Amino acid sequence: MNMLTVQGLTKQYPQFTLQDVSFSVAQGRIMGLIGKNGAGKSTTLKSLLHMVCPDKGSIQMSGRDFLTNEEACKQEIGVVLGGIDFYQYKKLADITAVTCRFYPNWDNAAYQKYMQMFELEPQKKVKQLSNGMRVKYLIALALSHNARLLILDEPTSGLDPVAREDLLELFQQLVKSGERSILFSTHITSDLDKCADDITYIKNGKILASAEKKAFIQLFQHLKKPGETGFLSLEEIMIRTERVSYDV
Amino acid sequence: MFKLIYKELRLSAHPTLYIFMLLGSMVIIPSYPYGVVFLYGCLAPFITLFYGRENNDTFYTALLPVKKRDVVKGKCLLFVIAELGQLVISIPFAVLRSYILPEGNPVGMEANVAYYGFGLMIFSLFNYVFLTEFYKTAYQVGRAFLLAVFPVILGIVVMEMLPHIHAVSWLDSMNPDAMLRQMLILIMGIVLYVAGMIFTYHTAAKRFERVDL
Repeated sequence: MNMLTVQGLTKQYPQFTLQDVSFSVAQGRIMGLIGKNGAGKSTTLKSLLHMVCPDKGSIQMSGRDFLTNEEACKQEIGVVLGGIDFYQYKKLADITAVTCRFYPNWDNAAYQKYMQMFELEPQKKVKQLSNGMRVKYLIALALSHNARLLILDEPTSGLDPVAREDLLELFQQLVKSGERSILFSTHITSDLDKCADDITYIKNGKILASAEKKAFIQLFQHLKKPGETGFLSLEEIMIRTERVSYDV
Repeated sequence: MFKLIYKELRLSAHPTLYIFMLLGSMVIIPSYPYGVVFLYGCLAPFITLFYGRENNDTFYTALLPVKKRDVVKGKCLLFVIAELGQLVISIPFAVLRSYILPEGNPVGMEANVAYYGFGLMIFSLFNYVFLTEFYKTAYQVGRAFLLAVFPVILGIVVMEMLPHIHAVSWLDSMNPDAMLRQMLILIMGIVLYVAGMIFTYHTAAKRFERVDL
């Protein structure tokens, strides 16, 4: 069953067009959305959350149309927008006290458990948390209302290798039960080598490929240079696909 | 609706919002242009939206399990609480003032029934211009305030000038008969405020739904 199905998503800006983006995220899977800076990853994620208004296309979450069931669909998702921090000077306890009221199935015991597990102190202010801890706090909120789809926009950007590894391990644990799915955008492809099941590659607003990781890598083997053996890594695939030469 | 109000009061409202509400008590100051109190009432929502922008309040709300237009509804409800709160807080001080300063206000409008009617009209005007302009972008709060504050100042000037016209000098009276006549202004203010807020919400929400965050 697909947790998320995006069909023909199109959004036109004066100098950029997200064109006919289609992909799906199956239940219990981690989908990595890759592309260089400005390729349209964040626009795609924001479009499917109705933060950006797409010109065309449909978004289905758990089989329901997102726009006509916006409130119900949002009950089932948890979102981390990299680089966007809410209420820097508020305590985590204050943000939680508000957030929990919007979710009828909020599980306070689960919330306490995740706060302890992630070593988050409720009396700390958002600005006192490291980037990795901020991501973990948002994940704790999402898990406490039993979000089945986590949408993470560049959650590992700006993190040190230890914090990144820690988060990637957490993502894998989260989907282990087969009930949750993760859609994870990043330009740090080594993260996806470690944890993604499926890859969607977006270039200049268009989907180049969307497939299971092994099949995805095989799709790009024509980029290998003569004499090269073994499969290309996601990073090599991206670098060779995006490479430009400057005539200066 | 109550969840949105709770969220607005606990996370979005800048602390000065509550201080400006308390400034409704300024109607007890002797010889003071009470129209200025409404200007303070408009400053509080401006500071709150400015504070909200710096704290990514719109993003937080838009990600909650609510419709996108509920982001605007939350702010409209907060504005209503702040503005009506200020007026309600001012009422006991206006009553007290009539006893301890019975000689009236020599520099401007009395804090009488008409004053509250004008206040509601001025707030209505401010809400419409400020919110509908702000939600064209959801970030240009300074521009929206500058555009909205001019009609507010104009409204205050008109309110302060009207009693100088002999035919409507009863607007400045604390006489019970005159205040009965002033009820018409108050009713007009209430109708304009309620209808204006509904219209403002629908117009601002429609604009916000087209905004790309």
